[in-house]
Amino acid sequence: MEALIAIAIGLFTAVGIYLTLRLRSFPVILGLTFLSYAVNLFIFAAGRLKTGAEPIVGTTELPTDPLPQALVLTAIVISFGMTAVIVMMAIGSYLELGHDRVDPDRDEGAQ
Amino acid sequence: MSHWIIAPVVLPAFLAAVLLFAARLGNGAARGLTLAGNAALVAIALALFLAAAEGPQVYRLGDWPAPFGIVLVLDRLSALMLLLTTALSLVVLVQAIATGWDVRGRKFHALWLFQLMGLNGAFLTGDAFNLFVFFEVLLIASYGLMVHGGGGPRLRAGLQYVAVNLVGSTLFLFALATVYSVTGTLNMADLAVKLPLLPEGDHALIRVSAVLLMLVFAVKGALVPLHFWLPGTYAAAPGVVAALFAVMTKVGAYAALRFGTLVFPPDLAVTAGLIGPLLLPAALVTLALGAIGILGARSPAALAAYAALASMGTVFTALSAFTPQATAAALYYTVHSTLAGALLFLVADLARDRGAHFGPGSPRLPGGLAALFLIAAIATAGLPPLSGFLGKLMVLQALPQAAPWAVILLASFLALLGLSRAGSALFWKPQGPAAPLPAAQLLAPGLLIAGLAALTLLAGPAHDWLSATAAALHAPQAYIDANALPPAKGP
Amino acid sequence: MSPALIAALPFLGALVPGLAARAGRDAAALAAASATLLALLGLMSHAPAVLAGETVLAQADWLPALGLSAGFRIDGLSLMFAGLILGIGLLIILYARFYLAAGESLDRFLTYLLLFQGAMTGIVLSENLLMMLVFWELTSLSSFLLIGWWGDRAEGRQGARMALAVTGGGGLALIAGVLVLGRIAGSYDLSAILAQKDVIQASPLYPLALALILLGAFTKSAQFPFHFWLPHAMAAPTPVSAYLHSATMVKAGLFLMARLWPVLAGTPEWTAIVATAGLVTMLVGAKIAFFKDDLKAILAFSTVSHLGLITFLLGLGTPEAAAAAMLHILAHASFKAALFMVAGIVDHETHTRDIRRLGGLRRAMPLTFAIAAVATLSMAGIPPLNGFLSKELMLENAAHVTPLVALLATLGALLSVGYSLRFLAHAFLGAPRGDARAHDPAPGLWAAPALLAAVVVVSGLVPMATFGPLVDAAASATTGGTVALKIYHWHGLNAAALWMSLAAIGGGLMMLGGFPRLRALWDSAPRPEAKAIFDAAMAGLTAATRGLTAAVHDGTLARGLAATVAVIVGLGAYAFVTGPHSPGSRDLLPLQAAPVIGWAVMTLAALATLARHRDRVLSLLLTGIVGLLLSAGFAWLSAPDLALTQITVEVVTILLMLLALNFLPPETPRESRPARHLRDGALAAAAGLGAGLLAFALMTREAAFAPVSAFHWAQSKPGAGGTNAVNTIIIDFRGYDTYGEIIVLGIAALVIFALAASVLSSRRAVERLQGLRMGQDAGDPHPPMLVAGTRFLMPLALMVGVFIYFRGHNLPGGGFVAGLVVSIALLLQYMASGFVWSERRQRLQPQVLIAAGVTTATLTGAAAWAMGWPFLTSGYRYLHLWPLDEIELTTAALFDLGVFLCVLGAVMLALSSLSRFAQHTEDREEAR
Repeated sequence: MEALIAIAIGLFTAVGIYLTLRLRSFPVILGLTFLSYAVNLFIFAAGRLKTGAEPIVGTTELPTDPLPQALVLTAIVISFGMTAVIVMMAIGSYLELGHDRVDPDRDEGAQ
Repeated sequence: MSHWIIAPVVLPAFLAAVLLFAARLGNGAARGLTLAGNAALVAIALALFLAAAEGPQVYRLGDWPAPFGIVLVLDRLSALMLLLTTALSLVVLVQAIATGWDVRGRKFHALWLFQLMGLNGAFLTGDAFNLFVFFEVLLIASYGLMVHGGGGPRLRAGLQYVAVNLVGSTLFLFALATVYSVTGTLNMADLAVKLPLLPEGDHALIRVSAVLLMLVFAVKGALVPLHFWLPGTYAAAPGVVAALFAVMTKVGAYAALRFGTLVFPPDLAVTAGLIGPLLLPAALVTLALGAIGILGARSPAALAAYAALASMGTVFTALSAFTPQATAAALYYTVHSTLAGALLFLVADLARDRGAHFGPGSPRLPGGLAALFLIAAIATAGLPPLSGFLGKLMVLQALPQAAPWAVILLASFLALLGLSRAGSALFWKPQGPAAPLPAAQLLAPGLLIAGLAALTLLAGPAHDWLSATAAALHAPQAYIDANALPPAKGP
Repeated sequence: MSPALIAALPFLGALVPGLAARAGRDAAALAAASATLLALLGLMSHAPAVLAGETVLAQADWLPALGLSAGFRIDGLSLMFAGLILGIGLLIILYARFYLAAGESLDRFLTYLLLFQGAMTGIVLSENLLMMLVFWELTSLSSFLLIGWWGDRAEGRQGARMALAVTGGGGLALIAGVLVLGRIAGSYDLSAILAQKDVIQASPLYPLALALILLGAFTKSAQFPFHFWLPHAMAAPTPVSAYLHSATMVKAGLFLMARLWPVLAGTPEWTAIVATAGLVTMLVGAKIAFFKDDLKAILAFSTVSHLGLITFLLGLGTPEAAAAAMLHILAHASFKAALFMVAGIVDHETHTRDIRRLGGLRRAMPLTFAIAAVATLSMAGIPPLNGFLSKELMLENAAHVTPLVALLATLGALLSVGYSLRFLAHAFLGAPRGDARAHDPAPGLWAAPALLAAVVVVSGLVPMATFGPLVDAAASATTGGTVALKIYHWHGLNAAALWMSLAAIGGGLMMLGGFPRLRALWDSAPRPEAKAIFDAAMAGLTAATRGLTAAVHDGTLARGLAATVAVIVGLGAYAFVTGPHSPGSRDLLPLQAAPVIGWAVMTLAALATLARHRDRVLSLLLTGIVGLLLSAGFAWLSAPDLALTQITVEVVTILLMLLALNFLPPETPRESRPARHLRDGALAAAAGLGAGLLAFALMTREAAFAPVSAFHWAQSKPGAGGTNAVNTIIIDFRGYDTYGEIIVLGIAALVIFALAASVLSSRRAVERLQGLRMGQDAGDPHPPMLVAGTRFLMPLALMVGVFIYFRGHNLPGGGFVAGLVVSIALLLQYMASGFVWSERRQRLQPQVLIAAGVTTATLTGAAAWAMGWPFLTSGYRYLHLWPLDEIELTTAALFDLGVFLCVLGAVMLALSSLSRFAQHTEDREEAR
């Protein structure tokens, strides 16, 4: 099963990177979402996988590692906040500029 | 155990919440509250700075011992960065108010306070994941500040800035997960104790995590080739925000220094020969590109941005040697380039606000601004009599090798050419009237100049203090002992 | 007076003119002059001791770790130079007072001038070489400001930048050279360095140090091939030309060579480089000077030539030659400064400096003519003036080298006779041309050059009494021994110098006579134009850097990201393969049907998203499916809290992005080239491979040490009062992380709020908003069934939220999930009944919620301080209320309340900001 999880992580990373390299803002946001799936799964998996061993005191003797779960929780919430911000920026720049390309126009002048 | 250690984190958060409650009271109240809060933070940082000389002090959050809970560690380096950050923030805040930048958008002061909280928290923490959390705090506040005032190009540049940093944050998490998975701990001192005991079969994985972590800090510190975000972001950001950002790239340098001396020191077998040799060439290329950019800049703001890039190159060059002498030079140059970079950004902002550009039709600018630019240029180019010259001498003495010398001196030459060209284009114009600078807008640059002058005249005591800091960094046993870790059991 | 004070006085004086400006020009000039005079007097007070052979030292620490100290010394060499700088400085201040036009700012001019004077004095009085570098660069800077005084003229700007580029670049080389020298000698203090001649000259680094230091000296003193900047510095006002570019700044390089003479000179390298450069410069400068038409240009190239002469003498490496060099420094300063001032006077009176338009001025300006005659004859080397004395000594020294050198030296002297006499003859003699109304200027302008001319005469007649002691002291300091130079006119008929001088004078006269033909020859010959070359080089460099910068930093996002990903994958792989690795041997989970199917669907959904990413709504839904299945995966893999959080966050995120898609184009166009797809695909595949392999390596091994979470598991109930270990970690053990996290959410909401406000205040954006057509296909925007359903769900959802909140400490749940559940409930109201309707009914401002959340969390944490505990220390107590079971009260629950409020407020603020956009779109919401 670990192999499948690893494949999933790799796939999400690949999809995420590919989409992040697109020219428009919305695919970039989708790509970042996939990257966060990948890394959340990665952090969780790095704590080693177990089934039926919820870390509730009293239900089991050998639980999964609760710390990676706490870390993932934190990471999920933080990336939610970030996603909301970048979505709003995408909307804002689309409304201001009239297009949703992520790169500067010729006439904006490169730095 | 003094609770003042956590004040730099809690106070801004609390004040920002108060600002949100009192949003109705208007901008004047917000300005007053933020200024007072920032001034209080400077005072606290100063007190902590003086206290740190006695040795590292640890603050256990939640009263849980390290490595099970999160700890804050106040040592010389974190105290230095705290003082630098809060002082710079106060000065730039004054300028933001004096130029009216704070009212060109909403929620400026709350975001400013949260930004401070993030920076302070990052410098104080002794836990790797907590470092990530506060990186996110400071990053998200910087997203808000960066797009303050709005406008299409600014929003689009902000979008790029966010995207790049999100990738960096993802990388940070990958690295942290690897570290935790192999070693089972996230406390930095605990890692320093455990990594030398690591079984050989796990070395490769830790090497990967070390590289990934350094790359995260390289993104933050704008090290080539992870620096592409900097020119666009800094040129598009509001001028006062870019001035504050002078300290943001230093966070990357700080983290690289902290991890490179505490967790992955040069004598650690696991990461031997990995960090330093990779860092030096990257730093030199960064310095070179920055200097080339200074000469090739198309606008005053771009000039300041590339100057920031060049200064990061110099700091990382000095850091890459990982010797106490080089680290002291790096720290001195960090303080200098933060002040000088902020000054240059403020000057560029004042010029841009008056419609100045490098072309022939640029309007005539006031004499006070010309004087400010001259001093900023001297500071940036590393010319005497300001501290940049002394910093450069320190770096040259600490790295007596041909490649750093050649790059540093050639970069200085290019910077000299670029700054003199810019100054000539902006200020040597036909006679004519120019509205003088309001006194309020001279206060912040004046304070920065005073800081640079102090750094020059008091270079001896400053260097002594920084040398003690560097020595403490390269002999981290005191830091580790202060954490009071349980004895390390082997694998 | 301490040497440090002597050096500091001009700097202090620089502050005064600006302050005295109100009181008029005389006040400013007097203030500046008094600073200089004071410094000069202070210097003179040391003269008796120094002339007797003593060295006065004053030391203070500056940066000892670097070897930098604020050390000052006065010995013979510095006495001579400092006297020159301060003495001529006084005269220049007087001259400038009358020279500058009425509208110009004399106080600013004097400020720059005094800054320069202080820097120059600092160079010659420095005991520490690093400190000398500071002053060295300062002279370049102040020279830049002074050359660019008339910044509105292109020649001024360009001259200033050229000077800065050349002298600044040389300065950088000098820094390197001094650092190397300091390494060899072990100190930067002159007292230490000057005693180590053998060590230095034996060191393998000696040639490097020599080359770098000479580079600095040659650029500053305009030696060939770095001489081209000096004539363009003539764009500066005449006082500047007279002071900096003849008497003082350009002599700085010569000073340096003299200062380090004891340890650098005497080797073949020294002689070869320095003497050759000097000789070549002398000839080149003189040759060009002869054919120039601008009075100042003649003088400029003449200066280049004379500097070359002095360099040549220093290069010879003998004490006699060094002494002759000192004499010529003094002589040259006197007549050249006078000549520049004369040129300025002529310019002032006749409004031209073009010698072709001048002539016969001796009748109109007799006094000026007299001064000019004295100075030019001295420059030509005619006895009994001081110029003859030093030139004779030079010829004498040259004669002792080789016949070729003697010939070249004679040629140089010949040319100098030529241009000197040309200057005098073509401007002052002959028929009057040009402006006949010219007359002698006010005393303020002729006083200074007259004084200098007097010096020329007197020192020529009685050299041993006037210049003698000074030259001896300076030469002694230079050579490190004791020198007593005999300066006299008649060296005897056997002296080669006599015949060389006669030959020079004769030849010069002949050249002057044959000037028209020679001029025609010169004009027809091709000449490299230094400025054009320099300008082309600078323009090329600037264009190249501009092009490179624009090409590298083209502002595209993908370039930065692609570089980042490539470096990460590459270095990660490098780090891995260069370290020992042994795979883990942990027992792996067996495959089971249901999870595998779930995995397969998840994977397919991800691939489908990739394939159909251009259809935005579809790809968003597919992403949601991936997220949901991920949540299911978490639940199966023993992470119920994670599953709950993932699913609720997923729902909110997807809803948010669906709402956002209302304001964005629904499709992504095809616009990338296939090559780009290939590159991105390769990068993505590499990254994915790396991540997957890393994950697999980690999953299949045990940790090297016992994880810290064993403590958390053990202490969850006793230490933190809860059985849900994940929750206790989040709000107790690592509550500080959560504190940061909720603040991230709060900040996110604020950023969104501010963003929305700024976008809505932009007219262009609002117009675009209004042009968006939304929801045409939806039919009824507020379907009654949906409205009724959500109304009914609302209290249920609230109850579920509260339930989850309370049970979180012991069972899966907690403040986050609760907050998200409640916000989903509120979201559904928005979607069902519309933004306007919901906004009107919302009592609690989201900002207040966020603030309340942050405050609650902060105060809960701070409450621990009252008990002397650190921030965020939790306590708990069990409460027994009959007839209920034991209720547990923890402060952590309060913290969780803060979390709840913050999450709720953040989500609501984000959505209400979005709703403000919706209010501007074409189909307005109607209140229901």
